[in-house]
This record gives sequence, C-alpha cells and structure tokens, in this order.
Amino acid sequence: MKKNDRSREIGRFQPLPDDERLICRCEEISKGEIRKAVHDGMFTLTEIRRYLRTGMGLCQGQTCAKLVRDIVAKELGISAGELERAAARAPMRPIEMRAFANEGNGGE
Amino acid sequence: MIRYDLIVIGAGPAGLSAAIEAARSGLQVIVFDENAKPGGQLFKQIHKFFGSKEHKAKIRGFQIGSELLEEAAQAGVEVVLNASVIGLYLDKEITVRIEDRLLHYKGDTVIVATGASETMVTFDGWTLPGVIGAGAAQTMMNLHFVQPGKRILMLGSGNVGLVVSFQLLQAGCEVAAIVDAAPRIGGYGVHAAKVARCGVPFFLSHTILQAEGDDGVTGVTIGEVDGNWNTIAGTEKHFDVDAICLAVGLSPMSQLLQMAGCEMEDHPKFGGLVPTCDAYGTTSVPGLFAAGDVSGIEEASSAMIQGRIAGAAAALRLGYFSENEFVLRAEELERALSSLRQGMFAPENKGKKLSATEEGCPVSEHLLRTGFLTEDEIFCYPGVKKIKGIHPVIECSQNIPCNPCQDACARKCIKVGERITSLPVVDEEVSCSGCGMCVAACSGQCIFLVDEEFEEDYATVVIPYEFLPLPRAGEKGIALDRSGKELCDAEVVGVKSLTAFDKTSLLTIKVSKEMSMRARFYKKGVRVG
Repeated sequence: MKKNDRSREIGRFQPLPDDERLICRCEEISKGEIRKAVHDGMFTLTEIRRYLRTGMGLCQGQTCAKLVRDIVAKELGISAGELERAAARAPMRPIEMRAFANEGNGGE
Repeated sequence: MIRYDLIVIGAGPAGLSAAIEAARSGLQVIVFDENAKPGGQLFKQIHKFFGSKEHKAKIRGFQIGSELLEEAAQAGVEVVLNASVIGLYLDKEITVRIEDRLLHYKGDTVIVATGASETMVTFDGWTLPGVIGAGAAQTMMNLHFVQPGKRILMLGSGNVGLVVSFQLLQAGCEVAAIVDAAPRIGGYGVHAAKVARCGVPFFLSHTILQAEGDDGVTGVTIGEVDGNWNTIAGTEKHFDVDAICLAVGLSPMSQLLQMAGCEMEDHPKFGGLVPTCDAYGTTSVPGLFAAGDVSGIEEASSAMIQGRIAGAAAALRLGYFSENEFVLRAEELERALSSLRQGMFAPENKGKKLSATEEGCPVSEHLLRTGFLTEDEIFCYPGVKKIKGIHPVIECSQNIPCNPCQDACARKCIKVGERITSLPVVDEEVSCSGCGMCVAACSGQCIFLVDEEFEEDYATVVIPYEFLPLPRAGEKGIALDRSGKELCDAEVVGVKSLTAFDKTSLLTIKVSKEMSMRARFYKKGVRVG
C-alpha cells in the first residue's frame, strides 16, 4: 500500500473523547484538529505541518513530532514507521529575523 | 567563512571526546554548543557511572564532564557556547547563530554529536504546570538547586526514571511511585533496588490516566493496562502529588544530519531516526560523522568511546593518522565499546525476557516487578555467601557492564574476571578487612558489609549512604528492609566519610542478629507498633 495513495478509503472522521487534548503545545493544536486534517486530505507529515503549523513553533517539533506522527499513522491505519518524517531544514532552532538581517552585515 | 579541520556540533560526552581525540592527533578543532554550559547532560549526573576503570567507572557524571573539559582545553580545542548550529549543508558548511549574528563555518570534517531529546506521552492534563521531563527535573535539582515538587510521581522505570527518582529523594522530595506501562522494570536492578529500599513503590503494567489540577498538578490517577495497553476498569489508583516526571525515553536529535542529506534509518532499537553509519560513525556523506545518542540511544560511557572513534576517523580522513595508527586505535576503542554492549542490557537483548544470567543464576522476576530481591533469592548469586566475620554481600543479580568492585578490594576478595558483565564473586578464602572500599565503589550501591559476630546477639551491616544530613554515631533509629518497610530497631555505630569514598558515606548499623541479611537501609525515628 502506497502511503500517499489518496484514493485510499480511511472512513469518515469519528470524534473521540480526547480530541480536545493539546498535542502541539507551541502552536496549540489539538488531537482532534490533527485527525480532522488527515480527513481533509493531509496524508503526509509535511502537509500536516503546513496545514496546521504543528511542530513549527518555539520547540520546532522537539516535543510533538513523534506524537503527531503516531496520531496521523493511526488515522491512516498504517504503522508510524511507514510514515515519512517531515523534512528537516534550516533554521533548526527558532531565530529572530534580526540575526538573519545581520548576516553579511559585519558577519563573515 | 571560517575553515576548520574539524567542526564538532554538541559539547556533550560524545562531542567533547571526539574533539579531544582529533585535536590530540593534530587537527584544528572547534566545538559549538547551543547551551550556556558545556558537558551536555553530564553536569546533571551526580551518580557514579558504571563501566570499567579505564572508562571512568565509579566517577560521578559531573566530574567526568570537568575532566573532559580540562582535557579539551589541554588539547587546544576551541569550545564556543551559546552557539546554535541552525543549518548543516551538503558541503559540510554550517551556519551558527551566536548572539545576534549568523556566522558561516566550513569543516573539512564535521562530527554531529547533538544527543537526544526527551520523548513525551500525553494524557488528560499533561500540559499542566508540574508535568515535566525527567531531564528538566535534573536541571532544576542538580544545576539550580530547586526541588521540582514536594511529592512526585515518576513515569518510566528505565535507568533515567530510576536514577532521577533517587536524585529526587536525595534532594529531599518524596517519590510517591514509579509507574511503567511495561510489565517489567526497564533499568538496572541495582538502580531499582536503591530506590525500593527507600520505600518507593513500583507499579508495573500501569499508566497515567489523568493529571489533576487547575493551575498546576495537584494529583494523578494511574491505572493498570492489559497486554494490549488498554486500561483495566476498576484498577485506578490516585496519588496526591504536585509534580509528575516523565522518563519514557529519548529520541535522537538527528535533524541536522537529515538536513545534510545523510542516508537515514528509522528503527526503534536506536530510539528513532538515525543516520546510517559504519562502525566509525561515518555517515553516507563523506567527511560527515555522527557519535553518541544522535546515532542511537545508549549510555554516556558508550557515547564517549563513540566520540573517540569518530574523532580518530576524522583524523584518518584528513591524513593526521596513518591507516595503521588508525586501525590500532580503532580496534582498542571498539573492544572497549563492545565490552559495554555486552550483558543483559545489550542492544540485542532489548525487550527480551531473560530467565538466567550468563552464570546460570535465575533472573529474579520479583526484582523486575517490585524493584527488590527476596531474601530467598539473594543466596542464588555468587556475591552473597555465608561467611564468618565481616564480609561483603554483593546483591548484584544482573549481567551489567561494570567492575569497579573488583579493583576496590585490596585483598582481592571480589572477582569479576575478564568479562566485565560477569556477576561479582566473593571469595570466601580471602578474609575481608572491612575497609568498605567496595561498598563505596559500587555505582549500583548494592554492596553491604555484614558481620554476624559483632556481638553475641547483634550483627552490624555497613550500608552505602548518600543523603544529608548524615546520621551520627550513637543515633538510634529504624532499619528498613529491601522494600523500605520498617524492620527493627537499629543503632548507628559508625559513620565513615573518606575522600576515597567520593561522597558515598558508609553507615554501620547494629541490628539484631537475625536481621543481618534483611536490614538494608536506615532511617531516623522511632518504630511504632
């Protein structure tokens, strides 16, 4: 089964009692929002990240990346290992625009 | 753009070791670390490390950190702190954020030693203030001298959960319980035993159902789980606590390697996503190496050796080591590393249920469920023998890579042998001087000296003691058994704190003779009932 096969039937979104639980604390995204996003067609972690901003906050996914992955995998009915990780790219740590602006401005 | 022979990312045990090894071979080395202090997690580790003498066993973690920093300085390593590496690119160019500036560096070789981050689990109330990672608890206690709470519940019975629980007790906090969803304790039995004898109960096959409180944690409810991790109704237990500590595992912080285009693999045995590496930490990107937890979760002792190996590999790549020199050095280091990867906690035994030790001694299920050995069980192990006069009783029941007890005994009464994971054997032919060096040297605090002939009706038990204030000789109190239950009256007849004991004090307590093999801890107070 292809992980990105969007014609795959994953059923309708079924509310769960713990849907209100916060998963991404930095961006305040709940478990229900993540599960709904899958049903909205976000089948990859990169898409989830762009759609909801999970893992895009202060901790850069240090806390929630694994949690989000488990939730998405479960919703898709696959194992977490089958789900490709979201891309890793700079800046690896949150950084003020000021530091970027200073680049080439006295920096090497 | 500034060029270095070697750029090391992360100044923890692996990174510093790599930098030292490479700098000693002649490389010009710079280390970046995002933290204000170097040493990674080492400076939070106040317990004595396991391993062998050659690899810093029985030295406390923070002291190892200081030693590494000193060695790094002597070797001419440049360590830059408060420096976050925010990008690592294919051509081994990095961008580092230092204060308000973004700087570019290029390494002819780069070693990534960024370590790991703590894994979290969720439950109702997990975002309440007071729910913290075990690492945060250590930072609060051991770096900032702040108690994380008055009464704490620990989730996770691996070595981190056990070690941090003991440190919480040392910091004067109460540990309400250690909870783990797994059916057996995950960490070393000796770590579990030293917490259990302080009276901390273990709840295996249990998980947190809910953290309670409005503005912060005021309580927690746990419940038993069945084989499919579903909670069993009616098994709920409540604890009043003001903090919950999570020690449920670590994940490699491998994003920089992923970003640099390294071939990655995702495997639970490594703890998550790690670069595909050879035995020297060489990744698929030429000149880019990984060492320590970022390449698979292990102990700090292994990380230090992996760092050395990666440092040597970088030296070879740049021609500072000849092929021959490298092979000799690498072989020596790999031997040391493989000795640490032996025994019951070896990577290949992860998750396996073992029924006997290498010597054929039975593995105690009781220990794995409650944190302590029963009185009947302890005589199964070669460190426990009935001997006249003062003698060591070594309650070491698992094959773990550790042997300082062997060197501690000047009379050679304790033998571990060539295999560092073997259970220590007490030689009944050699008479014990009662010096107590073995008691203080045991990182697992599982060696006691027992003298059943102290007085006609009384025996003495020497116990390792790492709490303050120290009891005074002459003080009367209560002896506790291995489960921390009050056992009998006890009198402190000796308190020894020598420099050689490295802050482990030896308490000699006098108990009635029949309690000599049961009394394993001491507390001040008067027994009721």
